[in-house]
Amino acid sequence: MRGTSSDGAPEPELGLSLSTVGAYAVISVTGEIDMYTAPQLREAVRQLAAEGRMRVAIDLTPTEFCDSTGLGVLIGARRRLSDAGGALVVVCSNPRIRKLLDLTGLDKVLDVREAVPSE
Amino acid sequence: MNAARHDPRSEPVTVRFAFTPAAAYVRAARLVAADVASHAGVATGLLDEVRQAVGEACTRAVLRHRDSEIDDLVRVEFSIGDRFVAKITDNARDLRAQSDSRLAASHYQSGTRPNDQDVLEEDTLSEEITLIVLGGLVEDLVVTGPDLEKGTTVSMSWPLPGGSQSTEH
Repeated sequence: MRGTSSDGAPEPELGLSLSTVGAYAVISVTGEIDMYTAPQLREAVRQLAAEGRMRVAIDLTPTEFCDSTGLGVLIGARRRLSDAGGALVVVCSNPRIRKLLDLTGLDKVLDVREAVPSE
Repeated sequence: MNAARHDPRSEPVTVRFAFTPAAAYVRAARLVAADVASHAGVATGLLDEVRQAVGEACTRAVLRHRDSEIDDLVRVEFSIGDRFVAKITDNARDLRAQSDSRLAASHYQSGTRPNDQDVLEEDTLSEEITLIVLGGLVEDLVVTGPDLEKGTTVSMSWPLPGGSQSTEH
């Protein structure tokens, strides 16, 4: 997803790869999630929901950086999926991002796990 | 590299820049922050915190400008003295203007698709989360403003080796 914007500035890289583990559609995120790249992640969740994939796992273990905009996307995704009878799991064994979830209290709100549930 | 680092006993050093309030430039600001902090001698273990905190403060400033529908530049200043100090200043100055723009946003929402409303809500949420993250992350954090004259300034500082432990900016 590397490229350049209309004014020629290099774009920060965000990699989203999709897979399936058990009942979950897994979005594995590499690169940096910030206010510039977060819309791509939001759109990926929205696309899965539109396809009827309501059990989604977002894997942040390989994510290099995540800011509050990324956390906002996680909260929005959880709400959207829950409202539709689905569920969001956040997979994260990355200490930097675990710390962020911890200090915002989102570790209590979101379903944060070390691995994608296998069932 | 140590030889190039700032000697806290010498004159303070300042790095100052400003950027168009667009999401694309927040990354540049946080990377510069980490680089300047590293040159200043901020402990390696704190550089991620500097990068995250400056990114959060810049994100908040961009959101505030977007909320107030202003294109003024977001100002960033790093100073290296006894401590490494980062100041991020927005120009979203007046509370009345902000409430007007919220009103405009609510009119806008009525004619938009649910997806657009999600984005607006997440942006509003993110501005609040930036302060929660900053509060949890940075020991020395001061947010001033806004008032009728000025926007807000987020001031943060981190210790430097050999510098004072005082958090006076």
